[in-house]
Amino acid sequence: MFYRRSGIRHTRYQSERQLFPLGFDRFLILSVLAVLLAAPFLFDRLYVTGYLLPWLIWSSAALGLNLLMGGAGQVHLGYGAVMAMGAYGSVHLMRFGAPLELAMIAGGLISASVGIIFGAAALRVKGIYLAMATLAMQSIVDFVISQTPAISGGALATLQAPPARFLGISLSGERETYYFALLVCAVITLFMLNVRRTSFGRALAAIREKDYAAEILGISTLRYKLMAFWVSSFIGGVVGSVLAICYLRAVSPDQFHLDLSIQILAMVIVGGLGSVLGPFFGAALVLFAPILINNALGSAFSTFGMTVPIDLRAHLPLVAYGALVIGFLLYEPYGLAKIYSNVRTYLLVWPFRHAQR
Amino acid sequence: MKMTRRTFVASAAAGIAAPTICTTGAFAQEKVVRISAPQDFTRIYTFVTSEYSQGQRDYFTLINERGGVGGYKLVIDVSDHANDLPRAIEAYERGKREGAVAIDPLSTPVARALVPRALEDKINLITAYSGRSDAADGSVFPYVLPLSINYWSQAGLIVEQFKRIEKGSLQGKKLAFVHIDTPFGKEPLPILEVLAKREGFTLNAFPYTPPGNDQSAIWPQVRRARPDFTVFWGAAVGQTVALSEAIRNGLPMDRVSSSVWLSESDMDVVGRAAAKGVMKIEPCVGGREPKIIKDILAEVVGKGKGAGPEAKVGTGYYNYGVQMASLIAEGVRMAAQKAPNGPVTGPWLNAGLTAIKNFTAEGLLPPTTITPDDHQGGGMGRVAQWDGNKFVPITDWFTANQDVVWDEIRKYSAEFKKSGK
Repeated sequence: MFYRRSGIRHTRYQSERQLFPLGFDRFLILSVLAVLLAAPFLFDRLYVTGYLLPWLIWSSAALGLNLLMGGAGQVHLGYGAVMAMGAYGSVHLMRFGAPLELAMIAGGLISASVGIIFGAAALRVKGIYLAMATLAMQSIVDFVISQTPAISGGALATLQAPPARFLGISLSGERETYYFALLVCAVITLFMLNVRRTSFGRALAAIREKDYAAEILGISTLRYKLMAFWVSSFIGGVVGSVLAICYLRAVSPDQFHLDLSIQILAMVIVGGLGSVLGPFFGAALVLFAPILINNALGSAFSTFGMTVPIDLRAHLPLVAYGALVIGFLLYEPYGLAKIYSNVRTYLLVWPFRHAQR
Repeated sequence: MKMTRRTFVASAAAGIAAPTICTTGAFAQEKVVRISAPQDFTRIYTFVTSEYSQGQRDYFTLINERGGVGGYKLVIDVSDHANDLPRAIEAYERGKREGAVAIDPLSTPVARALVPRALEDKINLITAYSGRSDAADGSVFPYVLPLSINYWSQAGLIVEQFKRIEKGSLQGKKLAFVHIDTPFGKEPLPILEVLAKREGFTLNAFPYTPPGNDQSAIWPQVRRARPDFTVFWGAAVGQTVALSEAIRNGLPMDRVSSSVWLSESDMDVVGRAAAKGVMKIEPCVGGREPKIIKDILAEVVGKGKGAGPEAKVGTGYYNYGVQMASLIAEGVRMAAQKAPNGPVTGPWLNAGLTAIKNFTAEGLLPPTTITPDDHQGGGMGRVAQWDGNKFVPITDWFTANQDVVWDEIRKYSAEFKKSGK
């Protein structure tokens, strides 16, 4: 009914090979994009700066990590450190007067070049051992930043992000920063959608499934593993600088600790490894479920006049949030994106049961 | 009755929507000053926050039961931000939308991210014992109000106290500064370095790795350095571990001091008798002696309106909460004096808060004067010593080395001004 899939055949290669071959998908994605574009005019500031902006930024970061984890099958527990290098690199460059466009790319390059060094560990170790190697990267980067006053910014360890302009537009207001984050997120999403259709993406997928089998097929694992780390760290660095300039506005070492890495890792896993849609769902759940449960419980208690000790009130949402995450993963281990895909597959030919492929 | 899926979904939706609609109109009739208090109850500060918040809420209940201040009722919205920036920023935006004129996040990372926003939106950001120390400079940070002695002042007070113990000269003495190896732990170092030069003592810094639950490697080194005085600087679990290690390594307890972050609860962990003699900085009176705490016990807790367990009333951090709440209430009173009919906005409350003069909250605080230039409130505190049962003040309210502290404050606020908007 929605997709009108039954009986439709593509008659040209171009129409079969486009990013979204089905009309309904194109309609859906364009309407979501339209809502996102109109959001600052439609919704209250609270929802734009409190929800949509962090959602876009964290989703972009999760997309970058997903290229590595879902795309190439390499575990990374230090993505927060990757973002930290991008954030610090670009903020420092901007304080020296570099324009944002350049500083952002340079931040990405700094992250990529350090990220690739630790990525080299992936050539020798796999799985849990690689997790430890990237965890070490997190600690080392944290340590270097907080021990070097020249990087962290002295005794207070806070660096203000200087006023930024992007292509001549000042990023000071809420709307400008939102649109800037939306633009970066859109570019990364487009890249992620397309990368799977390139030889690079297919090589990564082969390495994900079995690296020595890929080597036998003629894929240089050395080259592609390093490239995966390079690209993913570059995205992480760019998103780190967007995070610092659009959202945090002041960088300090504690913003990029292991907590951030775990948060982004959770987004990727809960959202769905290897999916492009997954990080968006994952970011929404991980960022907002605690807030919404907290607010709902809080107002429920106050409406029904219950006096709940504050400690219990603060911890109940965490219990509910934990149960929610476990519940989702039990129900569908492949993540939220898979739930969406199940529904979509069901509706493809609904109300009929089967259709020819 | 058989519940169909549709009725289930509809009732669930109604259940979620109902509370959000109901809360908005609750206080519409009265004149209200709304304070947003998203704090960290679940991640790092945990019990510190619950004691602090309990004190805050009990004091506001006391004021409201008495009919408010200057014709205004004080409403505090408490929520949990778990030290997580997206959650804190959401809470800040929500508070702003609901008309909050002050926000008290009680968290350094959160305060750092909120500083540019609060300055822009003209909302009073209360950064008691947290946030940027240079926010004491009100000319650069008009809407950031620590309202309490910052860490630099605390270090200045501690050195002054050591000097008093040594009868006026620290020449040739050795001071060990054992601190958590984070920006927070290193913050007092510049002040101590300047004072070491001025007073002629040698300063040895001993950093331990965060979170500080194992410090057994560092304390024997401290012992070997044979310091005349020891200052330990950390938070939460690091504090009790540091104190236990200091005791185990046989350092003389009456020459060991910490910042404001030491409380009765920590002493229970370390052992009340073993820690006898250790010193801390008291920014306000501890215990149940002050008149305000007695009033809270009689009029709030006694009537069953207390915000938490009665046993916590009068603990160190509880009283810090009361201290902050009383300063905010005094700010509202001053603001209402200046402009009785409001409108209640950030600048309105700011005018009140920066007009607080020699306020002691009936003996709870040192005389505190907030001016548009000095948001620290004068930098007064006192030193209290643990006698095995409670912290006993061993000095009067005093202030020391403020010249060094303000040099540092101005250095960083100038830097902020240069790089900011």
